[in-house]
Amino acid sequence: MEYSDSSDKSEQRCSSLAARLRAGNRAAAVELVDIYYEQIYVFFRRLGHSCQVSEDLTQESFLAAWQHIGQLRSGKTLNSWMYRIAGNVSKLYWRGHKDSKAVSIEGFDVPDGSEPECDKTGNSEQVGRLKNAVAGLPIKLRQAVVLHYMQHLTIAEAAEAAGVGQGTFKSRLNRALKTLRGRIISEDGELL
Amino acid sequence: MREEKLEKLLNELADATAEPVPPHLAEDIKHQIPQQLSPHRGGLDTVNIIVDLRISKLTAAAAIIVTMVLFANFFGGQSPADGGIYQNGKLLVKYCLGGILADRSNVLAAKSRYEYLAQTGKDVMYYGDSVDPRDSNAVLIQWKLSDGGYRVVFGDLREEIVSAEELIRLQARMLQKKAK
Repeated sequence: MEYSDSSDKSEQRCSSLAARLRAGNRAAAVELVDIYYEQIYVFFRRLGHSCQVSEDLTQESFLAAWQHIGQLRSGKTLNSWMYRIAGNVSKLYWRGHKDSKAVSIEGFDVPDGSEPECDKTGNSEQVGRLKNAVAGLPIKLRQAVVLHYMQHLTIAEAAEAAGVGQGTFKSRLNRALKTLRGRIISEDGELL
Repeated sequence: MREEKLEKLLNELADATAEPVPPHLAEDIKHQIPQQLSPHRGGLDTVNIIVDLRISKLTAAAAIIVTMVLFANFFGGQSPADGGIYQNGKLLVKYCLGGILADRSNVLAAKSRYEYLAQTGKDVMYYGDSVDPRDSNAVLIQWKLSDGGYRVVFGDLREEIVSAEELIRLQARMLQKKAK
């Protein structure tokens, strides 16, 4: 019941924010930045961009958001709209920097100075392998994994953010998981 | 089971890759928010058309008249040959332009009309290149009507239906004036 209430409040907040954005309210734009700038930056990092590039692409994403504010339909689509813009910005970057793929894998490091949660549970080796496996996925599959499992978008939101139907998105996700399983599986058939 | 473990590991990877964001980033982005956010600046249902078109008054007048003739043709109502919207266009041009510009614009308007009539297969003659644009009685274009008469457009874009004899008289007058 409490969950339902908080979910309703969140939906109302998003609807109100979207309506104010569509009306051209600048304060709403500031609010949008506060809500999303961290998520979008981390999204770029998880996609494999370096810190500096992620910073630039985050700024570009918001600039694109201001220009395409007319496309925002409702509060329900706010999440997917923002991630779709970010995904397109990332795609454009990669299109123009095809040589930067190797850098992107290196850039997928666990940040210095923050001990990963996994270390505490003794899963660091597994997570390390998984990190490399995710970084080695083709861009579309990597985006699917990052959107759903790391940015925690629902399948519907993530599919919309990726600009594909839910069926296609699920198929990408399955292919990604299959590839990951194949890459991190141990000799005795267990996940490492 | 494997599925669940992999998903769990992915969640752990998400936690492991959640890194602090540069502190100035939010402020940098906020500084770039435009003063006026316009919902119609872009989108699938909008097209930005920004044209910096610099043309002379004559060309603009001709463009207006051609557009009006075409509109009259496409949307029915009055035929371009009957006047109507064409006459309104003529008045508009006269209102917008003055002096020699207006006279030349009449010649241009007549030429546009001549081209249109010629395209529609009318037996039309154009004299705009050889007449004095300031002569309001000069014949700019003429074409034969089905009843044997001729419709004539004069230098001031006035139109009259004249007989063959009257047309010869008008043309003779033009030749005399030119000879002088």
